[in-house]
Amino acid sequence: MYGAAVQDLAERALDAALSAGAGYADARIVQRRSQNVSTKNGEVDSVSDAETEGIGVRVLVDGAWGFAGDPRLSGEGARDAALRAVAFARASASRARTRVELVPVPPASGEYEPKVERDPVEVPLEEKIALCLRAEEGLRRPEVKITEATVRAMNEQRVFHSSEGARITQRFVECGGGIDALAVSDDGRVQNRSYPSAHGGSSGQGGWEYVEQLGLDREAPRIGEEAAALLTADACPAGVTTIVIDAEQMELQVHESVGHPTELDRVYGTEAAYAGTSFLKPGDLGSLRYGSEHMNITADPTTPLGLGSFGWDDEGAPARRQPVVEGGILTGYLASRETSALIGRDLGGSMRADNWSRMPLVRMTNLHLEPGAGSLEDLLADVDDGLYLCTNKSWSIDDKRLNFQFGTQVAWEIKKGKLGRMLRDATYMGVTPEFWGRLDAVAGPDEWTMYGLTNCGKGQPGQHAHVSHGTSPARFRDVQVGVRS
Amino acid sequence: MSRALDLAERAVRAAEGDEADASVHVERSGFARFAASAVHQPTLIRDESVTVRVVRDRRVGCATTNRTDDEGLAAVARRAGEAAERSPVDPGYPGLQPPAAMPEVEGFDEETAAQTPEDQAEQAAAAIDAASGLGLYGYYTSGATEVGVASTTGHAVTQSTTDASVLTLAAGEDVSGYAEATAWRASEIDPAAVAREAAEKAVRTKDAGQIEPATFRAVLEPYAVSELLFYFGFTSLNALAMLEGRSYLSGRLGEKLFSDGFTVWDDGLDPRGYPKGFDLEGVPKQRVLMVEEGVARDVVWDRRTAKQAGRESTGHGLSAPAQAFGPVPFNLSLAGGDAASVDELAERVGDGIYVTRLHYLGVVDPREGIITGMTRDGTFRIEGGKVTTPLVNLRFTTSFPALAAGLLGLTEDVTLVNRSDFYDERYPFGTLVPAAATEAFTIVGTGSGPGL
Repeated sequence: MYGAAVQDLAERALDAALSAGAGYADARIVQRRSQNVSTKNGEVDSVSDAETEGIGVRVLVDGAWGFAGDPRLSGEGARDAALRAVAFARASASRARTRVELVPVPPASGEYEPKVERDPVEVPLEEKIALCLRAEEGLRRPEVKITEATVRAMNEQRVFHSSEGARITQRFVECGGGIDALAVSDDGRVQNRSYPSAHGGSSGQGGWEYVEQLGLDREAPRIGEEAAALLTADACPAGVTTIVIDAEQMELQVHESVGHPTELDRVYGTEAAYAGTSFLKPGDLGSLRYGSEHMNITADPTTPLGLGSFGWDDEGAPARRQPVVEGGILTGYLASRETSALIGRDLGGSMRADNWSRMPLVRMTNLHLEPGAGSLEDLLADVDDGLYLCTNKSWSIDDKRLNFQFGTQVAWEIKKGKLGRMLRDATYMGVTPEFWGRLDAVAGPDEWTMYGLTNCGKGQPGQHAHVSHGTSPARFRDVQVGVRS
Repeated sequence: MSRALDLAERAVRAAEGDEADASVHVERSGFARFAASAVHQPTLIRDESVTVRVVRDRRVGCATTNRTDDEGLAAVARRAGEAAERSPVDPGYPGLQPPAAMPEVEGFDEETAAQTPEDQAEQAAAAIDAASGLGLYGYYTSGATEVGVASTTGHAVTQSTTDASVLTLAAGEDVSGYAEATAWRASEIDPAAVAREAAEKAVRTKDAGQIEPATFRAVLEPYAVSELLFYFGFTSLNALAMLEGRSYLSGRLGEKLFSDGFTVWDDGLDPRGYPKGFDLEGVPKQRVLMVEEGVARDVVWDRRTAKQAGRESTGHGLSAPAQAFGPVPFNLSLAGGDAASVDELAERVGDGIYVTRLHYLGVVDPREGIITGMTRDGTFRIEGGKVTTPLVNLRFTTSFPALAAGLLGLTEDVTLVNRSDFYDERYPFGTLVPAAATEAFTIVGTGSGPGL
């Protein structure tokens, strides 16, 4: 179902909601097709091809939210979703202590779609399987017992109408991939390496050309060799030292210790029971020192290839680049129309829903660490004794996003400005603002790389978000490393 | 006929291949999520999804849709067939489940299935009202799901289930306490009582103190035990992880690895949990004893890993597109012990820490069972056998095998703890666990205090 028929359904949902007593309503119609191909040890491990479609209707009744999703793209489905959302809002409104207020957003009309040379969903399955098998081949070593490669593709149409007059149609095209090598020693020790990123590789918004430029087969021999070498590497020693973090691990560092704590719904406590709150308070805006003067963080849903790029968010707010941390000072939050009203400043444009069946939440879009100057080698050159940490292996952070412990797949000693021996089982820990305060250099634009992840969890019921982070390698002084049980 | 089975059989009829199966999931649920004592994210979901697997010349293809009219089912069957056609031969393909008798299980309650949005909002309100003086954060949810599996072998099974859960965090600026309850009969959970438990716990967390990192003796409430056990189970009690050498049990079956009191099994048939008659491949559920009095005995199996190892599936498979994860123990149980209460466990600990709940776990080293995370919403010091003063949130990086090898005791009573965060399709599951006392819970750092 496309075009006018979908627009008509959205209008029917709005009419039903308003007729039933909603003071505000919006309708999102989503049609998504996603494919995943994975191979393992030279054989196809999984091929999936999933489609889902439906309508989600969000309403305000007497200042209280209600939301309902229905898979039927029909007049009956649209009407039922609207009426159920109103009924749930009405049932909730009787207990509400305050009325939800929204900052005004001019109703938008328009279309958005990323630049796509080759639709990844239309790339033949045989080609996807062949790429995975070829990349896997390059990972093989006697010590590497498990080789895996995966590619994914997604094509989605999203239509958004609101009772304020927004009429938006957007198309999202994503794809990505990754490779993993698991090495096992004769005495049962296990080490793994991944490329370009752990936990499913990296994705971008664009055509199949994004996957091709990842160079999975090109990088595979290095990844296989490193996995094998880790089996005989020494363990990362414990201590306090200077660390240089590669761009991939910096992606996670930004995500967990800047992205989540600057989500304004967490600041106001609405995620307290699950994902947690934030150490930040509304009054910290403009004054809190988050990190050193080298720390500049920007939310930018206009970044080409970013998984968090769009024309408008899922409540119709336009995409706009907004600073979050400037020179180490907190200057922005990720926000919705509702949380913008609470803080008294329009910071909206970060409301995103996993699918038609979920209510939009404040989510990261593309959150970047702005580049500094120089090369990775320049960062290393100013380290007499330290560690270079690469590719995430494990992560955990507390409910206020303060105390974290991250592990990386591999580390190298830095001695007198040069990389030395490889180390395994590296971990580092810190407390967010103290840690960012120890940032003394970020590499320059030539080292800046963007990674896209698809597994950011939040909300009850749970929702996955697809977000991107651009980062350069960065150097931190006096960090606790090598934490073991 | 059930809706799920009807869809599954229609999808199989639409498929063209040597053989085919379909698994179907039907959901109707409501989620009254609240924060600061007001419902703020109420979500109602209806959905149906159909996954078709088609096999042609031992080449396998899968496709999924939620378009369940005849046209949608024909299209998903066609896409699965095309995927099979384009895929290479799958040498590990284990074949489809043949017809088999299904165990009778409970797990469906008409009253729970009939709950309306108004009922769900009312249950949330009951919890909110009970947490007087503190803000309440969490949710009340209930839902009805149907799962059906049918195949060209003539196998056809279906099961309807219900579930209800209340999760509460009672919190103020510098205090917080946690409690939750879950059951397949909504009438068995009392949102007000759960909220009161959270509020009473919260009041005790005021003026939380610091503690120096070390390995402590500890009492873990069932919420904490459940999360650790599930993470360990997902990474180590899974046949694929064991066969690939990633599991703590790889090469260690038959060895005494844990305390005598540590006995773990998975039992989808247990009516105290979330009963399941079959897995998402349609294989009948078996009770699997995995650790017996500290000795590693077995893991759970799906059809693919069972074929690889010359075993039979124990009924722990996922639907075809998700099988890369391997089999999953969705109904883990840890045997209770002989302690009458958590107070008795604290007496056995003597001096140590008391942990209510954990947050954001990460597996640092699956092969060695090392897990990191934070405690939250009710961490206390134990002194002289008594739970005393509150502590800030603690960062642990601990060996689960060492924790289970150093058991000082378990409560007699076991509690069903929900383990679903309700991502994607609703598939209720949880663990049946007691509270535990251990000699070895390693704290490596301290975090923020309790509260918002």
